[in-house]
Amino acid sequence: MSISIGSPRLRRLFASATVAALLLTAACSGGGSDSPDPSQKTTTLSLSIQGAPASFEPTRIDAGQSSYIWRSLYDTLLYIDNEGRLQPSAAQRYEYSADRRTLTLTLRKGMTFSSGAPVNAAAVKATLERIRDTPGPNQANIADVVASVEAPDDLTVVVGLKRPSGSLLWNLAGVNGVIADPATVARGSTATDPVGSGPYTLDKGATVNGSEYTLKKRKEHWNADAYPFETVRVRVMGDRAAVVNALRAGELNAGSVDPTQVEPLKSAGLRISPVKAFTVGNLVLADRAGTSLEPLGDVRVRRAINMSFDRTKLVAAFLKGVGVPSTQLFNPKGQAYDAQLDKAYPFDVAAARKLMAEAGYAQGFSVKMPSFVTTKPFEPVIAQSLAAIGIKVTWEAVPIQRQATTLAAAKYPMYFVIYGLDTDAVLTTLYTVPGTPTNPFKSSDPDLTALIAQANSADDPAGARAAYRGINKFFVDNAWFAPLMDIGVTWVTGKGVKHLGDGSSTAIDIRNFGTAG
Amino acid sequence: MSRRARDMLLYVARRLVTGLVLALLVTLITFLLLAPSFDAIVGNRLGAGATAESIRAMKTQMGLDRPVLAQYSDWLAHVARGDLGASFFTGERVGHTVGQHLGVTMSIVLVTLLLSVAFSVALGVTAAWRGGVVDRVVQGVSLTGHLVPNLLIAIALVYLLSIRLDLLPATGFTPLTDDPAAWARSIAIPVTALLIASMAGLTAQIRGTMIDELRKDYVRTLRTRGIPTRSIVLRHALRNASGPALTVLSFEFIAMLGGALIIEKVFAIPGFGSYAFDASLQGDVPVIMGITLFAVLLVVVVNLAVDLVNGWLNPKARVL
Repeated sequence: MSISIGSPRLRRLFASATVAALLLTAACSGGGSDSPDPSQKTTTLSLSIQGAPASFEPTRIDAGQSSYIWRSLYDTLLYIDNEGRLQPSAAQRYEYSADRRTLTLTLRKGMTFSSGAPVNAAAVKATLERIRDTPGPNQANIADVVASVEAPDDLTVVVGLKRPSGSLLWNLAGVNGVIADPATVARGSTATDPVGSGPYTLDKGATVNGSEYTLKKRKEHWNADAYPFETVRVRVMGDRAAVVNALRAGELNAGSVDPTQVEPLKSAGLRISPVKAFTVGNLVLADRAGTSLEPLGDVRVRRAINMSFDRTKLVAAFLKGVGVPSTQLFNPKGQAYDAQLDKAYPFDVAAARKLMAEAGYAQGFSVKMPSFVTTKPFEPVIAQSLAAIGIKVTWEAVPIQRQATTLAAAKYPMYFVIYGLDTDAVLTTLYTVPGTPTNPFKSSDPDLTALIAQANSADDPAGARAAYRGINKFFVDNAWFAPLMDIGVTWVTGKGVKHLGDGSSTAIDIRNFGTAG
Repeated sequence: MSRRARDMLLYVARRLVTGLVLALLVTLITFLLLAPSFDAIVGNRLGAGATAESIRAMKTQMGLDRPVLAQYSDWLAHVARGDLGASFFTGERVGHTVGQHLGVTMSIVLVTLLLSVAFSVALGVTAAWRGGVVDRVVQGVSLTGHLVPNLLIAIALVYLLSIRLDLLPATGFTPLTDDPAAWARSIAIPVTALLIASMAGLTAQIRGTMIDELRKDYVRTLRTRGIPTRSIVLRHALRNASGPALTVLSFEFIAMLGGALIIEKVFAIPGFGSYAFDASLQGDVPVIMGITLFAVLLVVVVNLAVDLVNGWLNPKARVL
């Protein structure tokens, strides 16, 4: 066996390498990026999301960023508009009985699935029952409330309730309100290619599952005029630097970025739309009875914890101003929010130490808290603030995929989490249902229970508002939590596209974007 | 069939069997490491409302409550029939999706390696042969390639070629089969970013071993016989120097496969690395197992190929 530059084998090897190099060189000089044609920017929305959707099967969809896709593929019974108001959608009308134990929904006429089959009450009943009866992330909200679903005629759905619920209608505007084609929903393909009646269909030829989803508008959709984009491309980009590059190169015309990345994008002429409150960073003081950490059973200790944080400085340092210092869990644009409550716990270490001493913990105490990848950046400042009043924190690393089970197991008496600023009704349920990751020690209180019952049975918006404000005040007065700040999101949009809404609604939907002149 | 060919086939078969045993061990260890997380994986699938009862029920439904070794045996039996199972979340066939994502990464890695070999051989041989200023320049370039991180190179290239000059896409990937020109454009920056670091190592290796070879007695003998320098360098010295370079190349390949995640994330490329990362975060057991199996087999095949090519280039290195 021999080899030389003159041998055919080596010549072939070098030839292959040269061809590849030339191909690249030609490509480099060939020019032309994949940027959308400027003339199409108003009809094509190219949007980035951070993580790939797990599944589009109705029992498995989630309310996160994958909502941009599934809300476009499915109609939901109701809809939350950009001002945070509940609106009719596939259900043209909805009405509660006097005792609020029966909800009657009247469907719109003439809706069809992308398969051509009609959308009727039987399809709504089938999907709702499927969600209620299938273990999964969307089951609890429906299973806890819905006793029966009837379809007396093609356009009427009658939902019998186990008890009045303030959050049901809002849930029917989200993951619990989707309508899937009953003839196809059980197929395995539903997870990646569902049949819905939404304003868009998935263009399978231009979709790479887990990385890029292309949606084509259904011109026959009953509400087609509300969707200005003919094509929606949703690209999964886990890296924020990639989002910035793609926005600057014109490969995306909508995406969210870190506040620190805004300046170059602004200089490049892109539109910046900060929404100051989208999620809340919350130290959950979960063991309110002090069963595993005795000091937390004393409200003075919980109040002292609330007073140990300089929230204004936190917002400035961590969020570069795209956030709101807050002691409340509720959306500042919502009904439950009360600006006065933000004054309840001013930053005052001396006063906090005094409270600790009054409670008998002048020397402080030690606590173990779970460390998730999402909480890492906040951990030093949390530990430092708590150390100032004598609380020594030890962090235990927990993989993020174990967050729900770890927290629900009541292993940690206090922990820091970041959750979305959903509607008042949904947040109330989220933070009070016992045995869940947000209430693992099953805290309850007669006053709170009465307020929740009042909210659930309120017939008029004013009654509901008073109840939710009462619930908010209860949380703050009793220091069930130590919310640190509302965390904002900075939207960047390209020419011809604008982000709508001001944070009044945190529902994630393609209708968050519109065309701009 | 000659005895030599038969021995070669036996050698390849032995190596492949060893590789399969290795794959068996690695996948078993992976499964045993995953098993304690089954509760968390099911809890994650059930979401915030998960309770101990619902987790138990779902584990039974998914067959995750059976003895771990029984589950692994089932998986292995399916693999033996060519079935890697389906994703817990999307229901997609694992064999198909792993192949799809691996194809994306391989198309980047193989082009990078091909170019790396071509440029490194040219630079390394020239530096060793010519010496002087050429050698110092090559060493300087090689050192710079070592010192500057891939990521920094990628960021600079994106800024220059995508954002400033609008010549190449900043993100995304077009399959070769869809549009070869768009494919070449989509991998141009990632390949260049990987290429610089890869070339730095390989060029230094080739230069060093070539200098050693060119100082050996047989080279002096060949020179005294009047053999042209070009033939001495390319036909004799380079062949002897190829062994260590091939070893470095196989390490580069494995490192690139493992390190593809960063480049894939920065360029939003749906490759093997990001697929593996997402599957691990979700706890998608069938996908993690499929990825592990593919990765082990790939490393086994690459190492075998390097040994065979090494033997082909250099008879002294032959194992038979």
